[in-house]
Amino acid sequence: MLADPRAVAARAATPRVRALAELATLVTETPWSLSRAHHDRMRGAGLGDDELLHAIALSAFFGHLNRIADAVAVPLDYPVERVAPAAEPATPPYAAAPAALRGTATATLAARPATAAALDDWRRYVMDRNAPLPHASRLAIARWVAALLGDGSSEMALAVDAMDTELRALVEVTTLAPWRLGPAAYAALRARGTSDEALFDAVVVASTAGVASRISVALAALGR
Amino acid sequence: MEAGWLPYVSYASASGPLRETYDRMLERPLPPTYRPQHGSVPGIVTAHGLDPLLIPRVFATSTTLNGAGPLAWQDRELINAMTSRLNQCLY
Repeated sequence: MLADPRAVAARAATPRVRALAELATLVTETPWSLSRAHHDRMRGAGLGDDELLHAIALSAFFGHLNRIADAVAVPLDYPVERVAPAAEPATPPYAAAPAALRGTATATLAARPATAAALDDWRRYVMDRNAPLPHASRLAIARWVAALLGDGSSEMALAVDAMDTELRALVEVTTLAPWRLGPAAYAALRARGTSDEALFDAVVVASTAGVASRISVALAALGR
Repeated sequence: MEAGWLPYVSYASASGPLRETYDRMLERPLPPTYRPQHGSVPGIVTAHGLDPLLIPRVFATSTTLNGAGPLAWQDRELINAMTSRLNQCLY
């Protein structure tokens, strides 16, 4: 997995592990590319809809932890025996969704009420305030993330707001190329005086919106 | 405050509400394998230190996903490890 995580989806010993690995891969990279065929194959591998929902929400959530850890470059907590390959900035970004998904999902997060409530509280906290970033910027970021991931749910199926080029670039890196988070991704905004608190806020808004949109998109895509 | 690519706040540097938040995070039930050897709050918590009120919300969500089924611990670890490697996150 360290050298080639995608190989787990192809070569793991059991269909169930292969299915979980494939689902984590697609939720992380291109949740909009999931389909009813994936759903049927994963059900055939022994995964129930409640397990698929758990895997989708967990992968989307863990992607947030990845983004914050990379955005800050916080030191490791543990000694590492097998060091993973360093992040390769030249890796192409994940592909953006070609269109917004609308349709009947196979499941909703309401089937995990504790997760739904916690995520809703988190999202409201991030979205419903006016500093460091103004509220309008938060909405613009969330809508741009939704567009990048193909989130056509009613809440986000609105026109993408105008957003300045530098902020949009940071939102795109956060959403589609988190391994590029770091000084180079912040340079343009820092050059015009954006504070560290506002930079962190922008990453948090984009990452939080990404968690919600990845879950929404993956569930909708599995049903089509 | 410590200097990462963005600033973060270690437990030793934290005061006031952030220190109280860190103390609550230390009191969370956590399997021994996830307790950092340095004995303080995990770095992923301190990485959120610029926004103390965000911390309990993010990790409350984590508890609902990493502390409960239906996926077993091994499955959850597989999902988390796959996601991290694909995102090229080394933390």
